[in-house]
Amino acid sequence: MSWTNVKLVFFREVRDQLRDRRTLFMIFVLPVVLYPLLGLSFFQFAQFIHKHTIKALVLGAEGLPATPALIEDGHFAAAWFTEPDEPRLVELTLPEASPSDDGEAQAADSIPRSLEEAKRQVRAGTYDVLIYFPPDFSDRLVQSRAQIAGEAAKEGAPAPARAPPDLLAIPSPEVYYNSALEKSQLGYLRVLDVLVHWRAGVGRTNLEAGGLPPQAAEPFRVAKHDVADPGRGQSAVWAKVFPFLLLIWAMTGAFYPAIDLCAGEKERGTLETLLSSPAARVEIVGGKLCTVMLFSATTVLLNLLSMGITGMFVLSQLQHIGPPPLLAIVWLLIALIPISALFSALCLALAAFARSTKEGQYYLMPLLLITMPLVVIAILPGVELNLGNSLIPVTGVVLLLRTVLEGNYWQALPFVPPVVGVTLVGCLLAIRWAVDQFNTETVLFRESERLDLGLWLRNLLRDRDDTPSVSEAVFCGVLILVIWFFMSFALPAPTSFAEFAELALVTQLVVIATPALLMTVMLTRSPRKTLLLNRPAVLAVPAALLLATLLHPVVAALQLAVTRLYPVDSRIVEMLSGIFTERHPLWQLVLVFAVAPAIAEELAFRGFILSGFRRSGHKWRAIVLSSIFFGMTHGIFQQSLVAILLGIVIGYIAVQSGSILPGMLFHLVHNALRISLLHLSPEDLSRHPSLGWLVQSASGEGISYHPAVVVAGALGAAAILYWFHRQPYERTAEEILQDAIRHNSAAAAAA
Amino acid sequence: MIHVKDLTKSYTDLRRGRFVALDGVTFDAFEGEIFGLLGPNGAGKTTALRILSTILRPTSGSASVNGYDVVTQSSAVRHQIGFVSTNTGVYDRMTAWEMVEYFGRLYGIERELLRERMDQLFARLKMQEFRDVLGAKLSTGMKQKVSIARALVHDPPVLIFDEPTTGLDVLVSRALLQTIAQLRENGKCIIFSTHIMREVEKLCDRVAIMNHGRILTAGKLDQLRSQHGEEDLEELFFRLIAPADDDGEPLEPTGHAAGAPGADTLVAPRPDLPDVDPAPSAARGGAES
Repeated sequence: MSWTNVKLVFFREVRDQLRDRRTLFMIFVLPVVLYPLLGLSFFQFAQFIHKHTIKALVLGAEGLPATPALIEDGHFAAAWFTEPDEPRLVELTLPEASPSDDGEAQAADSIPRSLEEAKRQVRAGTYDVLIYFPPDFSDRLVQSRAQIAGEAAKEGAPAPARAPPDLLAIPSPEVYYNSALEKSQLGYLRVLDVLVHWRAGVGRTNLEAGGLPPQAAEPFRVAKHDVADPGRGQSAVWAKVFPFLLLIWAMTGAFYPAIDLCAGEKERGTLETLLSSPAARVEIVGGKLCTVMLFSATTVLLNLLSMGITGMFVLSQLQHIGPPPLLAIVWLLIALIPISALFSALCLALAAFARSTKEGQYYLMPLLLITMPLVVIAILPGVELNLGNSLIPVTGVVLLLRTVLEGNYWQALPFVPPVVGVTLVGCLLAIRWAVDQFNTETVLFRESERLDLGLWLRNLLRDRDDTPSVSEAVFCGVLILVIWFFMSFALPAPTSFAEFAELALVTQLVVIATPALLMTVMLTRSPRKTLLLNRPAVLAVPAALLLATLLHPVVAALQLAVTRLYPVDSRIVEMLSGIFTERHPLWQLVLVFAVAPAIAEELAFRGFILSGFRRSGHKWRAIVLSSIFFGMTHGIFQQSLVAILLGIVIGYIAVQSGSILPGMLFHLVHNALRISLLHLSPEDLSRHPSLGWLVQSASGEGISYHPAVVVAGALGAAAILYWFHRQPYERTAEEILQDAIRHNSAAAAAA
Repeated sequence: MIHVKDLTKSYTDLRRGRFVALDGVTFDAFEGEIFGLLGPNGAGKTTALRILSTILRPTSGSASVNGYDVVTQSSAVRHQIGFVSTNTGVYDRMTAWEMVEYFGRLYGIERELLRERMDQLFARLKMQEFRDVLGAKLSTGMKQKVSIARALVHDPPVLIFDEPTTGLDVLVSRALLQTIAQLRENGKCIIFSTHIMREVEKLCDRVAIMNHGRILTAGKLDQLRSQHGEEDLEELFFRLIAPADDDGEPLEPTGHAAGAPGADTLVAPRPDLPDVDPAPSAARGGAES
């Protein structure tokens, strides 16, 4: 790769973008103008927000006691509000006469008098809230106070011996509101607040009547003090806002230039010119990536600056939020680099795939849909930075940024390496993808074809190859996942072992094996090549069996580590322990959880899907991609992670041996060992002391292998994998081609 | 210089199934000569030239330029060629000078040498008056000149012109043909594709007539005349491509390149290729030099 060429492409693209008025507007003009305008409309809008008045209808308020008065001059008394301007915000409607019992007598004006009619009006939204005092509410209120006063006036027994008076029951006043209308809900809360305050007032008056000081009901008040440093308190607010904005800006800032640089180049017909130039594809992508990154970062910076300047004016009006601390901005700038790199690479790959700028714009929504949940997870309250979170792309960066912005530097420090590592890997993968897009003719010279499902199906069945295509492999994987997803909802959750076993068998046969086998028969010409139904080398079979045995302690240790890192949801654990209450015969377990998966999953993932991915010409990519699909069918995330790694090993065995059989046996032995280990109880261990050199029983974590066994297993497994590596494997035509290209470019680089 | 052997390129096309754009094409071209590829639209000329310029990969067969394989040594091949086609556009937001300079720099030419060469090129192609005009403002003819300057800036031994005169007026295409003829004098190996017979007569040393992805006949112009007993090359061309197109199938208009001479009467490749090779002996005939 020549950096000179990358630089040349970069400078050309930057100049090109700077000469484009649209880009200049989006990147430079819009942010500068946008925030002052937003600030302006914020002030305009704020006036509206405060002026909302609630229309409340009050029925049965005629006889309410005068002290303490709930209603004065047709309004709630100001004493029952916390803020001084609030009484204006509740507009009361009080019918003149009390509702008649037959509910027919209505005044000429449309004020409802009967409860039913009033409810109807609240439902219709004419009134936001209805407060209904039952007919004898006022009387009972007055009577109960008289009762309290009477009891207090009684002379005789000393106070402690006096039995508490049996007070009159007072019917509840009723508040009707419409939860479908936001204003009605707001009104309900306001009215409730007033009524609660008033109730306390009534209580105080009652105490006075009973000869007790009003403080008796509220003996003390709770005082609150915020001890956060003024700066830290403010950064807590910014820590939630900034990461979110940063991602949005970085993405949109990358998206539009990326579309122009890739899809735009196709559209304007200059792509062929560039591709016939000596710049290698990776150099072209490199130059374009740097350009997109520059614009993404500039968008963020300019938005930040403009928002900062506007914010200084707006925030000076709001007392409780201050400007972001300077240090927060420095951290933001540091985080900007990996974030814009990641999004730039993603956008570039998507844009390279798009046929036209118009098609490219369609891809913004899926990109947002995928990214937003990752951002939202990170800003949810209660989510904290830990190793598990830090390994999730995007989420990790946002959480790290949030933690640092909150001022918890020491807490954040240990997670910097995993976050940077994951982001870097994400960037590299996205760049790889973008380069691949530039290497794929069908992507570069895609022409729009009329969509005709019938023709397409006929074409699929007619022009079959020996093995499936890459897209057919992806389709098979996605199909399996989709069927599996719907089935897990359609079928009831298993409650007994029999049901669980049935579900597992159906999943293997119907969801995994059937689609793969059907697609093999329908879409390929050679089921033998597709499903690798070849006779393996004689030694491959024992080698696979031995490898599975040696690797099992390593995988078990890994599984334990993963479960410690990401603890399994306690509900799942409960559900599983509910199923495995009794001990089942080992052979049943092996049949359901080892034999069936070994056959079905191998046919699908190492058969159809792996063969399809190998058509890309990259052996390792095919193995990894097929393993990711394999892992995803394992349901529980903690299992999926380990399954992906296992899938890579089995995929490698399948490729190197050219046969599906060794992988099947590996899978069978591995699962059988796993079940046996789970099946083993501490009692077994004490009954057979000879097992003691192999496994140990740790409290709480069941039975696990000795660390020495794990290390020995790893060493042995490495030796066998090396043996597989030495096997001459049969390359596909595409792999031969890619190897030749690699060989020649290496030779050219050396020369 | 250029060796093409059994080159095949097929695409998957929904309507036509596996569509063979290029079907076992074999030819050679040498330095100091102009090799013409003559054929109607859809004959496979552009596909063949795109493979030679490493933009597409062949499905099977091989091609090499100056000893470098177009698939496995594509980077080296790109240094050996200058490629001009109707699809090789000019950047809208770059001036003529910047565009040629950019590609010159990508070829790794030293600044001094590049400047010198560009001054010569701009003078020779009479591009001085629009050297600082943005691509978007250039006329079709000017754009084509920029493309040629771009293809010549690194002084490659092989030049590939894919229908370079399409859309040009008579004066500009005449000047263009003269430029190409001059390049032959400089010892370049030139591949030139067209669907216009007169351009071939005027320019090419040898020619291959293509239709439906196959070479129907190839050789020096005089050889073709005597071999097929037809003095008029235009007639010869029609006679050669007619049998393949005239077997009772309804003709479909090509849709693009309307207005080009003869385009209306020629056909796009049809779903099924005829089993009978119209000129079996000549079809796979390489260069007879």
